[in-house]
Order: sequence, then C-alpha cells, then structure tokens
Amino acid sequence: MRKEAITIRNLCYTYPDGTKVLEDVSLEVYEGERIAIVGPNGAGKTTLLLHLNGILRGSDGQVDVFGKSVDKVKREEIIKDVGIVFQDPDDQLFMPTLFDDLAFGPINMGLKEDEVRERVEKTILSLGLMGYENRCPHHLSGGEKKKAALAAVMSMEPRILVLDEPTANLDPKSRAELIKIVKDLNEREGITVIMATHDVNAVPALADRVFVLNKRVIAEGTAQEIFSDGDLMNANNLGVPEVFKLFEVLRCFGYNCEELPLSIDEAIEHLTRTVEVNGGHIHLHIHEHTHDEVKKLRSKYEHH
Amino acid sequence: MIEYPEIDRYASLDSPMHRFDPRAKVIAFLFLIFSIVLLNDLKLVLIGFIVSILFLIASKLPFHFVIQHLKGVSLFILPFLVIMPFTVKGNEIFSFYAIKVTYEGLRYGILVVLKAFSAVMLIFPMIATTKFETTLKALDKLKVPNILVQMLMFTYRYLFVFVNVFQRLLIAMESRGFKLGTSSYALRTIGNALGMLFVRSYERAERVYLAMRSRGYAGSQKTLVGFKMCTKDYVLAVFIIAFAVCLHIVCYAGVGVV
Repeated sequence: MRKEAITIRNLCYTYPDGTKVLEDVSLEVYEGERIAIVGPNGAGKTTLLLHLNGILRGSDGQVDVFGKSVDKVKREEIIKDVGIVFQDPDDQLFMPTLFDDLAFGPINMGLKEDEVRERVEKTILSLGLMGYENRCPHHLSGGEKKKAALAAVMSMEPRILVLDEPTANLDPKSRAELIKIVKDLNEREGITVIMATHDVNAVPALADRVFVLNKRVIAEGTAQEIFSDGDLMNANNLGVPEVFKLFEVLRCFGYNCEELPLSIDEAIEHLTRTVEVNGGHIHLHIHEHTHDEVKKLRSKYEHH
Repeated sequence: MIEYPEIDRYASLDSPMHRFDPRAKVIAFLFLIFSIVLLNDLKLVLIGFIVSILFLIASKLPFHFVIQHLKGVSLFILPFLVIMPFTVKGNEIFSFYAIKVTYEGLRYGILVVLKAFSAVMLIFPMIATTKFETTLKALDKLKVPNILVQMLMFTYRYLFVFVNVFQRLLIAMESRGFKLGTSSYALRTIGNALGMLFVRSYERAERVYLAMRSRGYAGSQKTLVGFKMCTKDYVLAVFIIAFAVCLHIVCYAGVGVV
C-alpha cells in the first residue's frame, strides 16, 4: 500500500484582484513518486506549489502533507517535510555567502550549531559544491546558482522536494547535471519530487506521473499517456518531446510501434528491440498515404 | 560585461589589518574615528591624520583603490578649505576690498579637512580589509540590532542584483536607439526605467520573502560565525583605543593648545 505524501482536495485560489488562478484542484502524490505539473503560462502552477508548504493558504479546499492538514500544523513543522526551490535562484539565495544560505534553513529549524555545520557539509558534498562555501551569490554562474538554490533547500533534508521550473535558463550541461541530481535524490533517498515545468524533454526522465494544469486539473497520467493525446497537448499550449515526434514521423514511414519512445534511452531500447525482431534490420517505406500522414502530423504540431 | 561596485575587491589581501579580528577592528577604529573627529586641537588632529595614513599604509590596500574612493569624498571636503577662511570672523590675515581672509577661518578650514580625511582614511582599514558580509556578521555579534544588520545584508545582497537589472534595462533601451543625455525626453525615459526598477524590486521582495518563509524565517536572520580573538587582536585593539584616549587626555591637559 503506497503512502500518500500530499493530498489536495478541491483547492481554489483567487488573487486579491479577483482573478481566479486555481479552481477546484484535487490531486494526490504518493511517497517516493516523481510528479511533473505541466500547463501553459499563467495556469497557476507556481501558485499551486506555494500551497504545498502552507505559504499560501486557499480560502477553499484542503491540502494535507503526510495526512496532516497544512492549515492546522505550524509552518515550522511543514517546512521540515516540504522544501520548495523557486524558479529564480536570486530569490532563493538571499544570504551573503553560500554557507550562510545553506545554514539558514537548518538554523531556523532549531538545530544545534554542530548539526547545522554537519548538514551544510553533507549537502555541499552531495551536490558537488565543494569550494563554493564562501562565495557570494553574485559571483556564481546561472547553473551554479540553480544548484546552490537546490542545496539551500536540501540542507533542510525535506522528504518532499518541490521544484519550480528546475531546468529553465540552464545550459545543456548544467541542465543534464541538474536532472541527474534530482533523479539521484529520488532514487537514493526516496525523496518525493514534484516539479512544475515547461521543459517537456525533461519530463520523461523526471516524472512517473504528469498532471496537466490549467486553472483546474485537465488530465493526469503517465508521460506516455499524456504526450500521446495530441488534442490535449494543443489545447493547453504544450509540446511533446522531440524524440516522440521523430518516432511519429517514422511511423508514417511504416515503422511499427505501439508505444512511442519519449527519451533517447527509450528510443535506443525500442530500436534495438525492433531490429532484433525483424531479423537484423528496420524496414521503412513510402506509400501513397505516407505524404498525407506526414502533412497531418506537421499541422498537428504547428499550434493553430 | 556588467561591472559591479566592488567594495570587497581587496578584502582577501594579507596584512596586519586584514588579520585583525573583525569585531575588534570595528570597535577600535570607530573609537579612533570619533576621538579624532571630536578633537579641537590642530596639532593633535595632525598627529591623528598622520596615524590614519600609517594605518592605511599598514592595510596594504592599493594606492589607486584608495585614491579612487577619496576623489569622490574630496568633492565634499575640500570646499571647506575655500569657504571657511572667508566666512569665519576673527583676526584678518589680509583683506581685498570687502573680502576678508581670517586666521581663525583658515585654522577651522584646515581642522575640518584634516578630521574628515582622517575619518575617511580610517574607514579603509576598518571596512575594506574584511569581506563586507564578515563585517556585518561582526556587527551582529556586537549586538547591533538584528533588524539593522538584516537591512544591511539585504542591501549588500540585492544591490548587485538591482545594478544588474538596471544595466540590462539600459542596454535594452540603448539597443533600440535610446541615447543617454540630459534632454527632457532622455530624462523622462530614464525616469520610466527607474519606475520599472522599483516595480521589479517590489515584486522581487515579495518572492524573496516567500522563499525566506519557506525556509522557516520568523523575523530574525541568524548565521554561524567562527570568530576567534587571540592575543594580538586584544593588543592591537587596546593599543588603538589607548591612543584614541590619549589624544583627548593630552588635549584636556592643555599641553598642545594652540
């Protein structure tokens, strides 16, 4: 039986100016799971994330963390369980040096000085930030800042890690590194990961389940299920991974597959399997209907 | 590339002033600064001035760095040397029609200028030989109200961010043909950009506050520091404070009254 890490029931939220951001959002996240929340700009993703540790409180609805309502528990208790990494590291790193930033959370949790130092050291080691302890945030690169922001939350050792656009504004290497770090944290320490993202290519690697949010929860499913639903994608300004598109094209040329791969790893596996089944090669061809199908496919992804 | 105001640039050099414990450093130099500023005896102020220069030399800060910062300050200080001799009443040195130059005025002018430069020069070994954040932590340890230390910390942390934002705004404007100048159009545009900067600062402040609360902020900002006073810190601090006190004892004893 899987334990529920976060349960949201009928959550509504309205900005002070009257704009509705969240309408009747309900979802649950199980312990150790990796969740991606995707949706267009202004869909309320960030607002939803801020409810997860009680920073924002819905006028309506209920948010439970490990079975306890965030409205009833003191915030000092919730932040031990739920750590939020904000999108802009400059918002997150507000102390003069990296060490101070990593120590900030643990100190506020009331830990003793040697425990705080131990946690800071451990976090620095596990995220590969050795030698950066005394650096000021404005002397870090974008990728380093993002890692530092993650470290500042990880030093509190949360059981649930909430990430707002973790891969935004990163160069490909830093992006890959960050994805690996988050994956490792989930696999090694069983941390539940919830992230809001526009980076569809990162979703297959980082999410067991995907929620499509557009003020309300539009859809929920595995990455495979969500990305296969072309109408759903179009209606919510979303895209699908490039690998997925490529295999859709291959399918028009007669490549035989039921489930399209979403990542390079899956593609390699898929191709290997197909080649083995077909006696050492892949057969592609052009029929009369191939051109029509390719045309249909292209128009599908032009976001009309 | 964007240039940041670098107050920390020479904080990692090595000199007796750099090795001085930050807490003792702040207290000792503040003591000395107030002592010199409150003196009223030209000879003693001159001694204070020379000692300030010696401390500055002991701090091994590069000459151009000091000059660069003294230039700005001079704009405010040097006018006293020109104004005072003409405005203070007293014994005339010479007069030219209605304009009189007085001995007392000249003495006052020199006094003010020497005091001001001494104070500013002592700020260098006090502030520029420690990383600014360390100075702030020292202030916190010295029981300066936490709210004040927090304000300074945030100023220090976000000054660079806002400089960055404003420079990006300017670059964006210039790349669309805007020319910096004093025409009413240019000033109005700069005004708009500044307004934009305020809006962004406000929004950022809100996000930072959310991030702080997410990590358990409850009104005070605490951190860990490993300051350690050793014998030479005590000796140096006592020496500086004793010197500061001596200046006043000598002054009251009337030894060097001009």
